Amino acid sequence: MTTKTSLLKVILLGDGGVGKSSIMNRYVTNKFDAHLFHTIGVEFLNKELEVDGNQVTLQIWDTAGQERFRSLRTPFYRGSDCCLLTFSVDDNQSFINLGNWKKEFIYYADVKEPEKFPFVVLGNKVDVTERQVSTEEAQQWCQENGNFPYYETSAKDATNVAVAFDEAVRRVLALEERTDHLIPTDTVKLHRKPRSATSCCS
Amino acid sequence: MVHVYNCHPFASQQIVQVEQEPGLVCCGGGALFVVATGGCKVEAYNVEQEGCPFICRFATMGTVKSIQHSKMGDYLVTIEEKNSATYLRAYTNWRYQAEGKARVGVRLLGHLLRGASVRGGVQMEIIEIPLSERPVAVACCPVTGDLLVGCEDTLVLFALRRQNPQSVILQSASQNSSQSQAQTPSSNQNFLDFERSVILHLPKIEPKQVALWGGYVAVQMELEVLVLKLDASSESKTIESPNTKKTDHIDDPADFMVLPRHQELLGDVAKDCDIRVSIENTGLEDGKGQYTLSYVLFRRFTPDFFQGCSVEGTQLHSLQLYPLFTSNQSVPLEEPACVFCFFSLPNAGYLYSLKGGVELLSTYQYPEKVLKAVLTDHLLHVITKNAVQCFTVRCAAVAARVVDPYIDTTMKACPPCSMEVCALRMQLFIGLRSMCVYGRHVILLSAADTETPEEPERTPQRRGLELKEHTLLTGIFLAVGIDPATTPALESFLFRPFLSRKWTISSPKETSPAGHGWNLYVIDTVSPLTLYQEMVEYSERYAETNPQAQNLRHLLSEAHLFLRASLLRTEQSEQQQNIEDRQELEEALRHNCAQLGDCFSRGTQKDCHLALPYYRMSGLSVTEVMARNRPLPSSPHTYGPGFLFYLKHFLFEETEQTLSQEEADEVIDIFSQSEPSQLVSVCASPSMINLSPTKTLQILIHQEDTCGVSVLLTITMATMMLCLDDLPQYTQLMERHAEMLLVYGFIEEPRLLLHGGVGFQHTHIRATRLTCQLAKSQPGLLVAAMVALHENSKVQLEQADHIFEELGCEKCLQVDFWEAMLMASSQEAVIQELLFRLVSIYIERLTITTSATHLNEPHIPSRRRPLKSPEDLINSCSHYGALYPWLTVLNPAHTTSSQHQEALYKLQSLLCGPSLSVGFVVPLMERLSEETLWGFSLHLLCSTRRGQYDHSIEKLLDRCPQAIIAYANHQLQDKHMVLWWQKLLPELCNRTRAASDNSILLAALKETLVVVAMEMSPTDFLELIPDDGTASYFLPHLLTCSQRHLMA
Repeated sequence: MTTKTSLLKVILLGDGGVGKSSIMNRYVTNKFDAHLFHTIGVEFLNKELEVDGNQVTLQIWDTAGQERFRSLRTPFYRGSDCCLLTFSVDDNQSFINLGNWKKEFIYYADVKEPEKFPFVVLGNKVDVTERQVSTEEAQQWCQENGNFPYYETSAKDATNVAVAFDEAVRRVLALEERTDHLIPTDTVKLHRKPRSATSCCS
Repeated sequence: MVHVYNCHPFASQQIVQVEQEPGLVCCGGGALFVVATGGCKVEAYNVEQEGCPFICRFATMGTVKSIQHSKMGDYLVTIEEKNSATYLRAYTNWRYQAEGKARVGVRLLGHLLRGASVRGGVQMEIIEIPLSERPVAVACCPVTGDLLVGCEDTLVLFALRRQNPQSVILQSASQNSSQSQAQTPSSNQNFLDFERSVILHLPKIEPKQVALWGGYVAVQMELEVLVLKLDASSESKTIESPNTKKTDHIDDPADFMVLPRHQELLGDVAKDCDIRVSIENTGLEDGKGQYTLSYVLFRRFTPDFFQGCSVEGTQLHSLQLYPLFTSNQSVPLEEPACVFCFFSLPNAGYLYSLKGGVELLSTYQYPEKVLKAVLTDHLLHVITKNAVQCFTVRCAAVAARVVDPYIDTTMKACPPCSMEVCALRMQLFIGLRSMCVYGRHVILLSAADTETPEEPERTPQRRGLELKEHTLLTGIFLAVGIDPATTPALESFLFRPFLSRKWTISSPKETSPAGHGWNLYVIDTVSPLTLYQEMVEYSERYAETNPQAQNLRHLLSEAHLFLRASLLRTEQSEQQQNIEDRQELEEALRHNCAQLGDCFSRGTQKDCHLALPYYRMSGLSVTEVMARNRPLPSSPHTYGPGFLFYLKHFLFEETEQTLSQEEADEVIDIFSQSEPSQLVSVCASPSMINLSPTKTLQILIHQEDTCGVSVLLTITMATMMLCLDDLPQYTQLMERHAEMLLVYGFIEEPRLLLHGGVGFQHTHIRATRLTCQLAKSQPGLLVAAMVALHENSKVQLEQADHIFEELGCEKCLQVDFWEAMLMASSQEAVIQELLFRLVSIYIERLTITTSATHLNEPHIPSRRRPLKSPEDLINSCSHYGALYPWLTVLNPAHTTSSQHQEALYKLQSLLCGPSLSVGFVVPLMERLSEETLWGFSLHLLCSTRRGQYDHSIEKLLDRCPQAIIAYANHQLQDKHMVLWWQKLLPELCNRTRAASDNSILLAALKETLVVVAMEMSPTDFLELIPDDGTASYFLPHLLTCSQRHLMA
């Protein structure tokens, strides 16, 4: 039986208006709506996918970027498997704020080993012509902050969106691969089963 | 011993088309929720539609460890795990998550948002409920939707709050706005939230399961069950702080090896259990105020090592609180009539009734280890590894008694709550894992044990498996003390294919038969009425073979409770369909009661008296009941004690229903055969009025020959003679015994004289034929008998009056009765009533006879002489006083009729007696004129009795001065002595002055002076002598006075 799935919680953080909801919508439903409302609080969508032979349910959490929603979103950082730090390439302030988002996440998610936690950085809206943040600047920030993978995406024309999520999943699974051998916990059971199943049945 | 019947409570089974292996299942709101193994996805199926179509699918945020649906609010609550942390979450608006593709809102408890739900379509929302401790068990109250969460040391109660969208305010970080004020759900979408209202601290209990119903909170640990009740009280009592409580118990229990013992504490006593509960009210805006706590039930089990049970073998499960509402409870928020608590060990289940005194209702002995049990309206369903079993329940028996106070009387009956439960069905299934129940649908999850190696090669083993089932079941029966070989029904049950003819399988498209070893079944139970009918059919087989068998009665009683349970449920709604169902159920109940009546009427057991209430409830007429109990020509000619009890009750106690001559004669036959001693009472029954006197007389004579002469038998025979119009024989029989003995006879059997009304105040009372005859031939006996009946509380005054009125003779007998009653009675109220009536009737007679004489008509045609003359009454009855001497002067000798004179004397005598209160009769006296001397005498008596001596003296001097001295001598004594000189003397002086030649007045004056001279001092006497008086007239009296004074 190969039907057992692992549930991965991926959370999208970043300033209001950088396109978190659009990225999620593009990835899950492959649609784009230029006039989305601001997200209030926290919402999520699920996406089933297979990565390297692993059946994975990706639970993508979209958060409200505005400061006034902070108390509504922060309780749900806990339990995240991956964090997508998002900025808009046409908004330098959103890039500058990445550091704050990272700090907020680490603080509220109560991550045990922050330096090992899988972050992925997304520079969205690359379809826009007037850029304020260059690729190099962004890559440099990623390098300095923990060697995070960086993807330039466009929710509008679907550039790199799927690739970025695939990378996020791969990062998480790679991390679990390591930790599995070290700390066997209750929740690990889920993830272990399919592997043994794949080895004998398929 | 556990009865096992092979009924068919299951109608059909369907297989739910689930793709992934189900891990957890639960149901509610018409839906079945399946959590796939691994647990991050929930699929909902409609159990109410054929084939259980898929409703929707949604993802959870973590691995589901436990899931519950709440009927109120239609939300799901889960305990989930993710990355080693445990969460408690509520899923609302899940029905809007059609394909799992819409965005799901997530928020914390209390942070109600205006999210996408308000912008556009309704959005599914997850409410995360943060807890300081790890949640282990949850339960939802089906009525309030409140949520109870069991953690390791606490139980937390969350109150459900419903909001209407208008009142929802966008909230930011500091939420303290008035969010829970508007609670009316105005749209079809749910804006739900929870408010932490109470925390119960129960240190170190480690709950396994919790249950919530209204204020009842139940918690089940590994080996203990504790039930508490929370009551909202308006006054805020200071409750001991939980903090101090906590610090009190710092002793580490691990230091001691204490072996807990079996314990059962019912009601308030449960507070003596060693679980200390403290309550912490946390509700901020709860209008209900503070909660107080009371203990309801505590039960502790110990693993019994001596019986070879391991600790794991003794683990409680299936905790359930179960309410039962009744007809007059239309509002579901009202307290239910009954609340039950069920929990189960692997080998036994326990059902407690919690309201109106906590008690253990039933213990279910399972034949093998039970994994899960669910209590429903009609049945207790349990699953073992290999079978579903249905046991009967006693909840309806408890509820019936709460609802109807006449149950367990001669009016109504219901099988006892303590009646042993039985198993109706054992249905084999392989590898059962879990069960849940929604209405009539039982949902079963079966999974072949994947660890057993034989699994892949199942087909060749099929035969062996069936054989295994057989031996297994046989083993089960033997274990509960039944040898199937000795019970043909069981034997056939064991050899019948387990999917019987009634077992229809809806065959959905083959769900990969070899693909997986699991299946999710929805099994529908048959309607209670269908099951009832099957039980009736079943019982008929018993009835043929052995009508007195305990089993027959048991099965019929079970069927009865089935119907009762259904009736209790249908009472709740008023829909047309339900009314029809209800009529059908009621008809079935009557039929069942008739059968139970038959059962008890024929039995010889001590419960035979139950034939009466069951027959009454069946609505059968006595004729029908007699027909049902007619012995078969082949069988011995006897009647069961239950039937005789019923018949006696019918004849002696109640009804106005009269039997035809044929039926009445049959009754006489029945009693002459079975209970001849009852014949007199039977004959006296008003229902028997049509009996054949000749035939009955023969039987009575025979009875007299065998048992000897008795007064009652003689009177009954005399009554028969009356029916035959044989007056000489009648008279002869009545003369056999002294009147006193006859009176005793009537006391023993009042119905010889009175029909109807005995014991029942409001029914119409009638005179019997014998009574009418007695009125004619022996009125004295009749009056004596009625007085005796009254004094022995067999008849009331009004009823006796009614009889005498019915007998006619112009109140003659009635007055005799009243006079006799007055002699006999010692009750003050009755005496006053009788005095009043007699005074009225005497006055009436006086006025009637007066008007008659005035009209110069002949006297009223000769009436019977009264039984008592005035002299008799004066001599024998203390209420009649001797006539005052002065009345003889006033009473004319022969001026009126004798009746008139009697009435006058009796009335005067009563007025002279000690008991009559004069004020009471004055209004009646107004009808009598003072014109006649006798009329005057009565008025004078009244005013004298009222102490109006001055006025009386004047009146008497006016009307009849010759009586004045007799009057004064009798009345003016002791303290009234002064009236001789203060009133009488001056009055006489005045009057003689006006008419000096009046010899009567002069004589009276002279007599008065003699008395005054005797009583007064000479000086006082001198004062009294009128100034214009002749000295020579008064001197002799003055002299007497002085001489007497000197001598003194």
